[in-house]
Formats: sequence, C-alpha cells, structure tokens
Amino acid sequence: MSPDGTTKALHGTAAARSTAVRRPAAALRRLGRHRWAYAFIAPFFILFTIFLLYPILFSFWLSFHEWSGLGAMAFAGGGNYGRVANDGIFWNSMRNAVIIFFLYVPAMTFLAIVFAALLSTGYVRLQGAWRALIFLPYVTNMVAVGFTFQLMFDSRVGIVNGALALLGLGPVPWLDEPMWARLTLGLLMIWAWVGYNTVIMLAGIQSIPREIFEAAKVDGAGPVQILWRITIPLLKPVIIFSVTLSVIGTFNMFTEPFILTQGGPIRATETPVMQIFQHTFQNLRFGYAAAISYVFLAVIIFVTLVQFRILSRGENR
Amino acid sequence: MRASVLRALVAVGAFAMLIAACTPSPEAAIEPAEDPEELEGELTVWAWEGAVEPLQEIDDAFSEEYPNIELNYEVQPPADTYQNLQLAITAGSGAPDVALIEDSHLSQFVALGALADLTDLVEPYLDRMNSYKWDAAERDGRYFAMPWDSGPVAVFYRRDVFEQAGVDPDAIATWDDYYDAALTIKETVGVPMWQQSRAHNDARKFEMLMWQRGLGYIDEEGNVILDTEPGIEEILEYMGRFWDDDLAADTEPWTDGWYSEMNEGEVATVPGAVWMGTFLKSFIAPETEGLWGVFLLPVWEPGDAQASNDGGSALAIPEQSEQQEAAWAYIEFHLGRDDSQVRMYEVSDIFPALEDAYEDPFFAEPDPYFDGQEVRSLFAELVQEVPTAGVYNPDYAEMNEIMAVEIQRFATGRQSAAEALSNAAEEIRARTGRS
Repeated sequence: MSPDGTTKALHGTAAARSTAVRRPAAALRRLGRHRWAYAFIAPFFILFTIFLLYPILFSFWLSFHEWSGLGAMAFAGGGNYGRVANDGIFWNSMRNAVIIFFLYVPAMTFLAIVFAALLSTGYVRLQGAWRALIFLPYVTNMVAVGFTFQLMFDSRVGIVNGALALLGLGPVPWLDEPMWARLTLGLLMIWAWVGYNTVIMLAGIQSIPREIFEAAKVDGAGPVQILWRITIPLLKPVIIFSVTLSVIGTFNMFTEPFILTQGGPIRATETPVMQIFQHTFQNLRFGYAAAISYVFLAVIIFVTLVQFRILSRGENR
Repeated sequence: MRASVLRALVAVGAFAMLIAACTPSPEAAIEPAEDPEELEGELTVWAWEGAVEPLQEIDDAFSEEYPNIELNYEVQPPADTYQNLQLAITAGSGAPDVALIEDSHLSQFVALGALADLTDLVEPYLDRMNSYKWDAAERDGRYFAMPWDSGPVAVFYRRDVFEQAGVDPDAIATWDDYYDAALTIKETVGVPMWQQSRAHNDARKFEMLMWQRGLGYIDEEGNVILDTEPGIEEILEYMGRFWDDDLAADTEPWTDGWYSEMNEGEVATVPGAVWMGTFLKSFIAPETEGLWGVFLLPVWEPGDAQASNDGGSALAIPEQSEQQEAAWAYIEFHLGRDDSQVRMYEVSDIFPALEDAYEDPFFAEPDPYFDGQEVRSLFAELVQEVPTAGVYNPDYAEMNEIMAVEIQRFATGRQSAAEALSNAAEEIRARTGRS
C-alpha cells in the first residue's frame, strides 16, 4: 500500500465521520436560510392542520364509536358501518343524488357549451352584459334562491303555476310530488350553476386555435356543424373536468334541497349530506354520522375514478 | 436525583395543580338565596318570538324584587334554539343561563345530562302544575326543568260554516259523528272538514289523536308500540277515510295557503291546541272575530277522555351556567307565581301549566273572538284531564320524522295504514335501539 493510499483511506473515514455529524446541522442551517419561506407558508399549514386535518382524523376515529356530543364515547367497533350498509334511508339519498344528477347535469353542461359558443362568436352584442347576466345566479346566496324558488313554484299561490294558468295549462305539482320535486330542484341547479360552467367552457373554447374555425368556415361548415363536429370534440377534456365537478357538487348538495323541499316529498330530494346533518344535529348520533360520511367518501372516490376511466378512454393515445 | 428530572417533576406538579384549580368542582345543589338583593349578575335568556314578550312583561316586577339581576334576551326560533344549545353543550361554553325548550325536545336535553338538577327547588310545585307536564322534565326520579305552558287540545270550528251546513257542533260526540258531519258539510257547503296534507304531512294531528287515547310511539318501558296497538291503526285508517272521500284540505301546514284557508272559511274545523287559538287571533285570522267556536274532541267510545296535548314548553337551566341561583330566581318568579302566569296569559294567550292560576277571574271571562264562549275555563278544565302518553321522549324528533314520511306514503296511496305503521316501527327500532 502506498503511503498516499493509506492516508487517503484514513482521511476518507475521518471525512465520513465528520459529514455524518454535520448532516443534521446542515439541514438546520438550510431551514434557517429559508426561514422566511417557512414562516409565510406556516399559517396555511397551521390552519389546515387544526381545521381540516384534525377533524378528518377525529371523525374517522369517531366513526368507530357512539357519541351524543356530551359525555363519554362508547366504542362500537364496526357496528356503525354495519348499520350504514343496511340503512335504506341513506342509500335512498344516494339514489336521489344519482337521479337528480341525470336530471340536470347533461342539460346544464350542454347549455353551458351553447352559451359559451354563442358568446365567443362575433354574433352577439353586449358581450359584457350577457356574461354578467349568465354568471349572476352563481354569486347569489343559495338560501335566498331556495326560498324564492319555493314561493315561485308553490302549486297554489306560486307565479309559475299562475303563468301556466294564463296559457290554459293545469296546475303542476312542482313541489308536491316526488319526481316533480326532483325536477324543480334540477331547474334550480341549472339556473344557479350554468354560469359557472359557461365560464369554464368559454376558457376552453378560447384555447382552441382560431385557424381551425376559419378552416371549417372556408370548407363551408355552418355554425351548428362547427359546434357539433369541432367545438364539442375539442372541448372533451374541459367537459370531463366540468362533469367531474358536477358529480362531486351534486353528491354534496345540501343548501338547495334543505331550503327548497326539506328533503321531501317522501324523501325524494333527500341528499347524503342532509342525512349526515340530520344524524349529527337532530338525532345526536355523531359516531353514526361520521361512519356515513366515510362511506360517502368512498363512494364518491370510486365514482370519480370510474368516470375518469370511461370519459378518458381514447384521450391519451 | 438529577436536577433536570427534578425540575421536570416540579413543572408537571405545578401544571397539574393549575389545571385542578381551573377545573370547576361539581356544582353543589342550587341554594335559593336568602336575600333577593344579594343575587346579582347578568342572565342570558334564550326564547322565541311570542314568548319573549310575555316574559318581558313580568320583568318590571321582577327587577323590583331582584334589583341587582340584569336580563339579556336572545330571540331565536325554536329550531335554532335547539341547534345552538346542542352546539354550546358540545363545545362546553356558550349556553345561556335560562333556555326555553318545548316539551317535544326537552327529554332529549334531559337525557343528555346537560341541564341543572332542579329537583329540590321544584318540589313544592309538583302538585301545583299539570301532572303530565313533569314527564318530559323527569329522569330517574329527578327533575330538570320548570313547566311553563301546556297545549290542551280541542276542536276550533267556524260557526258560519256549521250554520250554513245545518250541523250542530254539540251533536258531535264520537269520531263517527265527526265523519258524518264532514260528509254533510262537504255536500252542502263544499268545504273540507279539516286540513291534512298528503305529501307534506307532519304527523302532528296523528300524534294528537294518539295522545287522546293515552297512546304514543312508545309504552312506559320505552318499547315501540306503533305496530302492536290496534288503537293506533284505527286512528290512521280513520284519517285515511278523509283523504279517500275528499274531506281533507291537502295543504302544507304553516304556509300562506294553509293560513288563508282558515281565514277565508275554506275549512270547517281546526283541531288544535290552545295556542292554535292564539295564532288564529293574532296573525292567521284576526278579522274573523266572532266567527269561531270551540268544542271538545270527539271520542272513539263513550266514556273516553276528551283531552289531548300538542306542544307546551318549559324553562330550564343549562348545567354550564355560572349563575344558577339567579337563573332559578328568574324562573321561580315568572313561572311559579300565580299573578305572573296570569299576566303572561293575558298578554300572550300562552296557557299556564300552573293550576292555581286557573282560579283567577280572567279565566271565567267570555272571549269575544269565540263569540262570547268561555273558552279559557274550558281549556282549564280540559288540561287537567290530559292522559300520560308516550309521544314526547328523548328520540321524539327522529320518531316524528320517520312517522311523517310513512304517513305521507300512506296518504299518497303508496302503502296501507298497517304497512305505514310497521315500516315506521321497524325503522324506529333499528335507529334508536329499542325493541
């Protein structure tokens, strides 16, 4: 062994030992160097931990107990989850969410595309006014909207039936019969959310290169053909995004059915979040409500994944 | 031992003592104050509109006797009151010193253990209030609230409709008579006998009819009896006949259409509690003074009780309150004294549960709204006959919600009365763990 090799070997181990001691110190120094960055993002993480992370973990823990909000929690094992599986009323609310989804989301999405297409052509005057008008319902308070729709669609004294009567059409049981009530709720949702989705579609359309539309016009395509053959296919990723939001939004519906129909008639417009609310604040069964919310979460994750698979097929070749 | 360990132990010990000092010791029983002037502080009282005004009527006299107690009212509807009370109880703070709670929801709060034990304080009043009022406030022999008002039930009817149809209300003795009268009135005047919504039924009239027979959702042991008591099925079938024969007005309760039917004489009778009369006078049909009368509930069999109950409320002291002596002084003054209860009744028509109050001459006065009928003494006699029934209980809200939906299904022809009751019973048993 050459004298250099020995020395190098000795230096190597000594160097290795001192690096090991220095690593945590180096990390601390890096922390110190970026301390202002950490300080600025800390408030978000502190609030996130307290108000989101802790409740999420606590309610998971809670779902295995029975608790009335006061006093001790009683361990229940998987009992709550077993009861959820058999809870006909809860699964009815899930079914309602699916039915209401198909009642209004296709129509609303299509309407949003049409509005966005109209707004992005040169045909329509007063673009700003129309955009404001279409978007305005989205920023209105949902509680006020719910009460107003309830008055408007009252089968006896509401103005909708009043207007229909002028046209000679019979009174419609807007809020008195299960399927009609779901439809009325759907109408409310369309009115409230079409603006939001129009904005999304508008952004999507504006990202389509102008040349494509010009080429189509040169080839003699009319506006409807352009919409159907060019705009909508090219909007596919945006549509998927909008529909995903609509799925999650529909399952999460609470304010609108709570105010408009209180879940009735005969549980036709009861949604899963309304069930969670009822079990927590009226029946005081916090553990059961927590179990429902986790089952609900699992279902939504599953549905969203399935949806991605179906709608994205052929998207990435 | 090492200095650092010793320091840690001392720190922990000091911390523990600090915690112990801050944790309030279990409340000793409330001692009524010897000297009214001694009690001081600010009381927060939660009540709803319609109840706050009569309470405040008594406040002047209260402040004379207890000059150092200040009162602060927070007005909110009953549903909000219960929600906020639950939140405050769960959070450990924010509860008022005095809370107004309806009997229907009282047992839930009593079962939670959230209210102060008032047993020794209410003992002198146990015989002086309507006896059935204590059921909701009681648990294991201890009492946790002081009754305020009762909801004895009778039938309010439109004199003009009955006259036009040629029906004599005094001739209605049984529920069969009531049904026959309904047919007559429908034929002659074309007006339905009562309001009974189909798709928006709230099960309140059904509960009233059960209570009249001493029946309810549960029996004394807490077992569900909806599908085992033939009397209950009889009630639901009876209600069904009115829907089948178009003798019921299908209007959602507490809506403008519902109010206007009563106002315009588009319904012949309104079976309801004494407070329904108050609502008729004040905001539903104030211009129809003199057109109304009252007759007692018909019976199923001769000799049955003609009394039932719907509603009623009590004042309670949340356990969290730091001023329980002052809170009790407030409750005792407003609800325990004849003149307070009578005064509140005079200004608001909230019917006192305090039986001594019925001796006041105010009760014997004829009421012009009911065409001079002595309605107050009628209800005063009636309220003392109300049977005990298993309608209000800690799970009432849930049971009422389940039953209402099953009645809605029955009323819209989706199932039979027997199915409605057995579905409701099964669901209630599963949800509340009863048998």
